Amino acid sequence: MIWQQIVNGISVGSIYALMATGYALIYSLLGFSNWAHGDIAMVGAYLGFMFIASMNLPWWAALILALLGAGLLSVISERLAYRKIRKNNSPTMFLMIAAMGLSVALQNFILVTVGSKFKTYPQVLPVKAINIGGVYIGLLDLISFLASVIVIIFLYYLIERTKFGLAVKAAAANMQVASLLGINVDRYISLVFLLAGSLAGLSGVFLGMKYTVYPQLGNFALKAFIASVFGGLGSVPGAIVGALFIGLMEVFVAGYISAGLRDLFTFSLLVAVLVIRPTGLFGKDIQDKA
Amino acid sequence: MKKTKLVTVLFVVMLMASMLLSACAPKADEDVIKIGYVGALSGETAVWGQAGLNGMLLTAKEINEAGGILGKKVEVIGLDGRGDPTDSVNAFRRLVTEEKVIAVVGTNFSSCNIAMAPIADQLEIPLIATAASNPKVTVDENGNLHPYSFRIGFIDPFQGQVLANLASNELGAKTAAVIYDIGSDYSTGLAQYFEEQFIANGGEMVAKVEGHSGDNDFRSQLSVIAEANPDVIMVPWIYKDVALIANQARELGITAPLLGGDGWDSPELITMAGPAIEGSFYTSQPSFANPVTKPYYDAYMAEYENLVPETEALFGHDGLYWIKEAFERAGEVSPKALRDALESTTQFDGLMGSMAVDPATHNPAKPASVYTFTNGERVWYGDYK
Repeated sequence: MIWQQIVNGISVGSIYALMATGYALIYSLLGFSNWAHGDIAMVGAYLGFMFIASMNLPWWAALILALLGAGLLSVISERLAYRKIRKNNSPTMFLMIAAMGLSVALQNFILVTVGSKFKTYPQVLPVKAINIGGVYIGLLDLISFLASVIVIIFLYYLIERTKFGLAVKAAAANMQVASLLGINVDRYISLVFLLAGSLAGLSGVFLGMKYTVYPQLGNFALKAFIASVFGGLGSVPGAIVGALFIGLMEVFVAGYISAGLRDLFTFSLLVAVLVIRPTGLFGKDIQDKA
Repeated sequence: MKKTKLVTVLFVVMLMASMLLSACAPKADEDVIKIGYVGALSGETAVWGQAGLNGMLLTAKEINEAGGILGKKVEVIGLDGRGDPTDSVNAFRRLVTEEKVIAVVGTNFSSCNIAMAPIADQLEIPLIATAASNPKVTVDENGNLHPYSFRIGFIDPFQGQVLANLASNELGAKTAAVIYDIGSDYSTGLAQYFEEQFIANGGEMVAKVEGHSGDNDFRSQLSVIAEANPDVIMVPWIYKDVALIANQARELGITAPLLGGDGWDSPELITMAGPAIEGSFYTSQPSFANPVTKPYYDAYMAEYENLVPETEALFGHDGLYWIKEAFERAGEVSPKALRDALESTTQFDGLMGSMAVDPATHNPAKPASVYTFTNGERVWYGDYK
């Protein structure tokens, strides 16, 4: 059974990882926790549901469209909510508060327009499981895990090996000097938000397929936040490692100790990290983090 | 300076206007009997609360057309309890103190009614729970009766027994496992009553795991159950959690039938988990499956533009008719007279069957219907006393 639990943990963790990656991307660039990230994922889940259920598109088409939709929403949110605050050189705390406001606005928008009823994705992927030596791996879990791996490899390549990545890293290091050197910082920030939003949309669709779609789906981002803190705020590989760790820990606590204590352990981990090693596993400097 | 002055004046004017408007309180009308309803009108269980309120409004119309109660018109006022104990208590208080209702019907959640019962006693307004099935709704944990708390549905010990007997006697189960919601009185209670009867029948509980409603992933707990390999699994949750649990259980290769209580009772369950609950069973209140309910069903569909009614609508109907019958026996319109008449009910015939009230516990003796799922459809399996 321990292998089954490990598989369970990795599948839960890989969805957290997808969300944590986008989260860490934005943190590494702009230095603030985008609390609306989970809600972008939630909108992505609703978009995917709409494309599959109402428009009867094949699942891969719906996925790509939902991805783009969420990315677009992310770009728009940057333009509307964050850009002005950033330009005013306000403290990064303001960005975080704007993100909280955006989060509530998105949730309530969906609540008012679509309604609070739970929506289930039509079964585009069979609820079957593959049995490997007594361990059951859900088909959806396998696909979401593979997707996470592909996305992470793609991201690595993008950030480390392309000019785009170089520009983003430069802007992250020092925005003013980068813009002096000719990098259109606004454009790159929009592109990073597009990327992070798409990642959120992807994780939202997977969450929606796996569980159900409801306006509070964005609360998963809290786990992504904890994963990021654990892995080191601002470090993308750290966020992934943190997410997998949290996925595994949650599964083992729920299976062997008590399901009721699951969240207690996760949040205690957050407190422990902040007390013992605030930079997390891979993080760099210690300063006021918003 | 000029701008802030204008804003201040505007603000004061708005404040005064809103105070004046709210001072126009509704007049207390002597010829109207006001009955309140508390239910989840928003949130994930709104499908039930809304059905209950719709049912009561439709029934009030029907009663008024037939002459009202003791010659007076019935007015139903519904407030949102959100399925939460605190919000339900607040809704109850508002109904009694502001809307001046004489009785309240609702809710269908044990946790809410357990919180509301002492308030009903304190404010001396009868409260009739609909599907709330935990014994503590009418009798508190020290064994003291709540004089103003009643119910129209059966109680969990009975439901648990029916399910355990079904498992042992008809399904031939020797071992069982249970996954229950630690946040719900209903779920923990039902699980406990099932276990007591199952063990009394000679069965063995091989796994007991807990979860929390609001969690999405139950696979770590279900893996523990899969390992224990029981003949049946008791899943006493609300339908949306049952859907998640059932789907995840099948994904983990668990093939045992699932058992549940009236929390399963919603058409949404089939939409969300049709293949996974095939061959599973649940107990519920007698519902629209009974042909005697057809005229009411048709009236509901006509009134609410083809909205399929949930069983809670039947509760709303029977609740209001029970109050009418009790008032007619009492002969006077006062909360105390109503209370006494409700308590001394020896026979009330509603669409959900006939009931008598036990004065010691305020619990009615009512049969339970068992349903199963065959070929993606809910099928009535039998009635059990």
